[in-house]
Amino acid sequence: MIGRQPFFPKKRRREPPVPPRVEAGRSRLLITGALFSAAFLVVSARLVGVTMFVEKSQPQYSRSVSKPAFVTGRANIVDRNGNLLATSLKTASLYANPRVMLDAREAVNKLANVLPELDRRALHAKLTQDRSFIWVRRHLTPRQKYEVNRLGIPGLDFRDEERRVYPSAALVSHILGHTDIDNHGLAGIERHFDRKLQSDKSPLNLSIDIRVQHAMRQELATAVREFHGIGAAGIVMDVRNGEVISMVSLPDFDPNLPADIQSDTRFNRATLGVYEMGSTFKIFNTAMALDSGIVTIRDGYDATKPIKVSRFIIRDFHAKRRWLSVPEIFMYSSNIGSVKMALEVGVTRQRAFLQKIGILHPSPVEISEIGAPLIPGRWREINAMTISFGHGLSVSPMQLVAGVGAMVNGGIYHAPTFLKKPSGSKNKGRRVISAKTSDRIRRLLRLVVAKGTGSKAAAEGFLVGGKTGTAEKVVGRRYKKKALMSSFVGAFPMNAPRYIVFAMIDEPTGTEKTFGYATGGWVAAPVVGKVISRIGPILGVKTVDESAPAIEREMAIDIITKQKGKRRLASF
Amino acid sequence: MIKRATMIWMLLAIAAGIGLFVLKYEVKSMEGELATIHQKTLDNLEAVHVLKAEWSYLNQPARLEDLGRRLLDLEPVKANQTIEIDDIPFRPVHESGATSYPPAADQVPPLFAKTRRKQ
Repeated sequence: MIGRQPFFPKKRRREPPVPPRVEAGRSRLLITGALFSAAFLVVSARLVGVTMFVEKSQPQYSRSVSKPAFVTGRANIVDRNGNLLATSLKTASLYANPRVMLDAREAVNKLANVLPELDRRALHAKLTQDRSFIWVRRHLTPRQKYEVNRLGIPGLDFRDEERRVYPSAALVSHILGHTDIDNHGLAGIERHFDRKLQSDKSPLNLSIDIRVQHAMRQELATAVREFHGIGAAGIVMDVRNGEVISMVSLPDFDPNLPADIQSDTRFNRATLGVYEMGSTFKIFNTAMALDSGIVTIRDGYDATKPIKVSRFIIRDFHAKRRWLSVPEIFMYSSNIGSVKMALEVGVTRQRAFLQKIGILHPSPVEISEIGAPLIPGRWREINAMTISFGHGLSVSPMQLVAGVGAMVNGGIYHAPTFLKKPSGSKNKGRRVISAKTSDRIRRLLRLVVAKGTGSKAAAEGFLVGGKTGTAEKVVGRRYKKKALMSSFVGAFPMNAPRYIVFAMIDEPTGTEKTFGYATGGWVAAPVVGKVISRIGPILGVKTVDESAPAIEREMAIDIITKQKGKRRLASF
Repeated sequence: MIKRATMIWMLLAIAAGIGLFVLKYEVKSMEGELATIHQKTLDNLEAVHVLKAEWSYLNQPARLEDLGRRLLDLEPVKANQTIEIDDIPFRPVHESGATSYPPAADQVPPLFAKTRRKQ
């Protein structure tokens, strides 16, 4: 209509004079028309805008449909190199609807032919109940599913479920833990990170290296067999950031079969078990004494006679019956010397020092099996004396390893962790001893392997250092004679330590080859040596010529010996 | 009587209707195609997932070690079999300007750490 009636009539048609009312009407019409065309212009501009240009608020349909994602109900767990350690696979679970089932007895008989492990009587009882849903069997294999389908029994059906699968079976069992049939974490990493694994899609990246784990597990198993031990534990830790590269506790279990796990295989000796560690504690005792400034490396103590305290007598295992310097006390693992050293430093300082290096608190490592250390209720002088050589205070191997890491890496304590730290992340840690003390401890540890009780831990080219530990096991309230806990804690390469390697054998017995000895030096030290020579190349540690003058200078330590009242200086 | 403009509009409307219809069916069939592809992708992703699990099962260190020992003629590297790159001397140049060629492999002494130190 608007098109037919021009807004602006031509002049020549304005022959009769236009009455003022009509004039007013026309101008009103003009305004209205202008308003309408403005509105239409806006609408068409908006139309062009909406159809031709993408706006931010607009939902992106095209993108949301173009990415089909495969999501499992529980995230994968991978090792530091991306090897799969735990994953979830789809399985079919068989259920029945007894209300629809025609003949329960026949169904049970037919099913038992296909699934022979079924309990016929129990199943029959369940199938005759007045219910509409019962599980017959969870997680069938594809073949079993096919055979059940072929039976054609009405009232049976499958439900898709997921099942946790651990491709490496028992190898990483004590770290990973396991899940129940409904995929809830019951132990280890699976339990500690249960919520995260259920909500996250990206895999959980552990610090574990499966190759190192295998080397450690194999060597420990060989040692347990050879010395008829009842168990073992082993840890490899990166001293620069606290990443645990390997943790083994024997015996271990297959997490794929959670129903078959025995309670003794479930016990984690590396983090849950707390033990009196014995002489490996002398690392802490010596570091504490040297770092306090009260004792210097040139000092020494008289170790001629055993110390009698109330009903205890403290003796030396490798007794020298003479004055011993600090390096000698460490090298010969003298209990008498260690006690005198600890007493000179004092009870309060000892306690504060052990507190600082995480000995008095449960390990912060991320699994659910963590043992709390057993600490004396009242820290008296007698406690300080026994603690100096690793008795009267029980800790888990993980606590010991983290503490020793701080002693050798330049004096920085890093909390041990099972999670891989992103590359380039800063590892702050916390200074616990001076770099100078740490250097002294490194030389002392090297001395033990080069000339002392730890010689069996040597691995040519990797400059191993370490300390042996042999402790009688506490059973009930007394020490069990002949039941030993033999351990060795080592580090390599000693001139710039990268990794701590710890091995412990539970109740070993000596063999002919070891002349009946079952001490740390005979039983655990060889394990550490073998493990280091296997994992060194894997971890990319450069080998050194151990007898090169530059290396010998770095590891040299002055030892003062006193014979017939004269002080002599020997240098190793 | 239908005017020419009305005819044009009607034809346009019919053409638009047919066009819309064709487009709708095309989109529908493409959507079906997309859904099929998505399903196939999901199936393949699941197969990849299962294969990855199998791959890691086959890659267990214990199995690889056993295979390596039985089928390969190789041994783990020992510390004395490695050498720093700086320790390797440059090829000597004779006065005549001719370079000497390395001796045959069986005439080279083994690079043991201890022999190196004695020199």
